[in-house]
Amino acid sequence: MSSSAKRTPPPPVYKARRASLLRSWLWPARSNLGRWAYTMQRVSGVGVSLYFLAHIIETGNVVGGLSMWSVPAYDIAKNNWNNTVDFLKNPLFDLGLVIIGFLLTFHTFNGLRLFFSEFGYGIGKPARPDYPYKPKSQNTLQDLIIWLSAILAALAAVYALNVLFG
Amino acid sequence: MEISLSVSRSTPKRHFEEFTIPLQKGMTVLDALIYAKENLDHSIAMRYSCRMAVCGSCGMKVNGRPMLACYTQISELKSNRIKVEPLDNCAIIRDLVTDFAEFFSHHKSVHPYLIRNDVKEQDNPVKEFLQKPEEVEKYLQYSYCIKCGLCYSACPTVAADKEFPGPQALAQAYRYIADSRDEGIQKRIDVIDTAHGIARCHFAGTCSSVCPKGIDPAQGIQLLRRYTLSLKR
Repeated sequence: MSSSAKRTPPPPVYKARRASLLRSWLWPARSNLGRWAYTMQRVSGVGVSLYFLAHIIETGNVVGGLSMWSVPAYDIAKNNWNNTVDFLKNPLFDLGLVIIGFLLTFHTFNGLRLFFSEFGYGIGKPARPDYPYKPKSQNTLQDLIIWLSAILAALAAVYALNVLFG
Repeated sequence: MEISLSVSRSTPKRHFEEFTIPLQKGMTVLDALIYAKENLDHSIAMRYSCRMAVCGSCGMKVNGRPMLACYTQISELKSNRIKVEPLDNCAIIRDLVTDFAEFFSHHKSVHPYLIRNDVKEQDNPVKEFLQKPEEVEKYLQYSYCIKCGLCYSACPTVAADKEFPGPQALAQAYRYIADSRDEGIQKRIDVIDTAHGIARCHFAGTCSSVCPKGIDPAQGIQLLRRYTLSLKR
């Protein structure tokens, strides 16, 4: 074979695959507190989005459900609303609202932490790393806000429990 | 005293193989693996070179956490059972050896070198380019990166999005953007400020907590985001 001949790359000798995608994405075991907050932020974000979707469908019933662009007569709207309220009178939905109270509060306060971090607040200044290494961005203030978000979320859940089941 | 070393093997399909290793004082996980390879099973595939946390070759998951095998003493794991696996977020070539092609392509994409407008001066300098100590501090820690891939492996966003550059590449982008000698900011911003770029980081901070050189990529990424949001260098 002449040296000028175009070489073809050798075939791959291994099957390219990624190890346990779901585990490395969502499961925070043996990780720092910020990683737990990351997972909670993702889960609460999805949970709250799904709740908003259900909430829009629920309140949409008042103005006529799928035909919401036409305002129905008062009696029909009242009937729709009563049916919806009857359907939602269920401990399972109440429990769902308690969980939403927890997720929404955590998402809000942890979201504020992330918002301010994006503008460089509360993450320390770059400096020469000295042993034993402790990353400045993973500091007490960050941990404190994460714990505070969790405590406030738990309090919101307790309040919701009292309102719905008390 | 003996320890049980459980090694992830990739052939014929992924499974774990247990080895009993006699423990010696100061023994690292890499020492244990080398003992197993030399005395118990020659077919274990692993990558290592310097044995002193400089080359960044021996990154692997030790008891579920990305670590450098040469930099982790068995005594600090506080367990007689050690489980070693290949790094997450990388394709497995064999056993503990992973493919870093994707990782290095992200690294290259952020132009990890000084870019100057006066190319003549850069190639044939006629004077020193002076920097104040505080200017050096802004980027110094990021220049200690050994490209071991631990942060890339620990990043949950990389797991979910292959096009996300990852903490190592983004921290390198910050390293050069924060350098007062560099003039290639826009070139790097064009690469990282995309739909799959820097906005995908949600500050989990795992990258910083696993870095064996004490670098704080999470901090660099947030400072880079501050730059993209407010142009404050």
